[in-house]
Amino acid sequence: MTFSEETLSAYADGEVDAATRAALEAALATDPQLAQRVAHQRALRARVRDAFTPVLEEPVPERLLASVRGAAPGQRTGQVVPLRQRPRARWSWPQWGAMAASLIVGVLLGPVLLRLAAPPAPLETSGGRVLASGVLARALSQQLASTQPPGAPVAIGVSFRARSGGYCRTFVLRATQSLAGLACRAGPAWQVEALAQSEAPGAAGGGYARAASALPPAVARTLDELIAGEPLDAAAETAARERGWQP
Amino acid sequence: MDELRTELVELLPRLRRFARVLARNAHDADDLLQTSIERALAHAGQLRAGAPLAGWMFGILRHAWIDEQRARGRRARLFASPEAAADVADTAQGLPVETIAVQDAVARLPEEQRLAVALVLVEGLSYKEAAHIMEVPIGTLTSRLARAREALQGMLGDDGGA
Repeated sequence: MTFSEETLSAYADGEVDAATRAALEAALATDPQLAQRVAHQRALRARVRDAFTPVLEEPVPERLLASVRGAAPGQRTGQVVPLRQRPRARWSWPQWGAMAASLIVGVLLGPVLLRLAAPPAPLETSGGRVLASGVLARALSQQLASTQPPGAPVAIGVSFRARSGGYCRTFVLRATQSLAGLACRAGPAWQVEALAQSEAPGAAGGGYARAASALPPAVARTLDELIAGEPLDAAAETAARERGWQP
Repeated sequence: MDELRTELVELLPRLRRFARVLARNAHDADDLLQTSIERALAHAGQLRAGAPLAGWMFGILRHAWIDEQRARGRRARLFASPEAAADVADTAQGLPVETIAVQDAVARLPEEQRLAVALVLVEGLSYKEAAHIMEVPIGTLTSRLARAREALQGMLGDDGGA
């Protein structure tokens, strides 16, 4: 007997009739593949619910409490109030938000991401990877840690060779608040391997050497995992740039 | 009326969660909820005695959201502004990537599927209750949920958690 995804979905929600339930549970006992499909349905339900649970913990805004008390200004009762028009990001956060889950596990992302959206975007997604683009890609390809222009939107931290042989660099994006990350050369692109909100927002004015030491722990961990030997010195960094960061 | 207000205050965290699934970012969601609270208080007489307040409020939120979507559609035509589902990050401060990714995948579902997800998967309502709020037959709700799950699994993968 075969079961449609619709039946399995309803089963996971506890919404099938007794006959279907009996048939399905009999089949489950002998069909590991079917059992796995049901497990997926259940896991998905838990994932979706868990993703919105944090909202319950947030403090309720005073304006909502006030409107329940009937103290809302102007008594706009029953009227359709247009929601505030908000500036939209030029690059699509959702596209890479999902991908980031598999790529940047355990790293916390802040709302800063969207506000970095001054075009062109510093990050983009491609084939399941998060890639540097725009100002970030240019800085990763061109900017040397030893000679960084003051006020540049990106500060390069350290450049190093990964155990895989390729080159990687840490960076701090300073567009609005600081976002620190680590990207590795992947062919013509820079693939972002880690990304986290910097602990010292906007602090990069005090010297670029600090950029590496100020790396958020998640980025620093990734650096430790990837690095082979020591970071590049100024000469090695210049040489690597001349080779286009190809191994 | 005072009793209604007290119950509403208790219900606010849950209503905010429901609104967040619909409206994606916290500010829009709270705006939507505020509009809905005002409507609910203005039409408190329509709440049947003994009927669950949560279900009634979900219905009001749904209608407010539909109105809002229409208004957005008009604005989008006026300003040709991209109404991308780019808002999740706005409220994602400090949340794990897994949470952001799931919220984000839900945000990209078609409206009708997202509403079904909000009512059944997030709020834990029965199909009967959810179908009643959505004003559709249970069969329609069932297939919307199945399609929503398929889409979510496509976006999130099958691994059951990052």
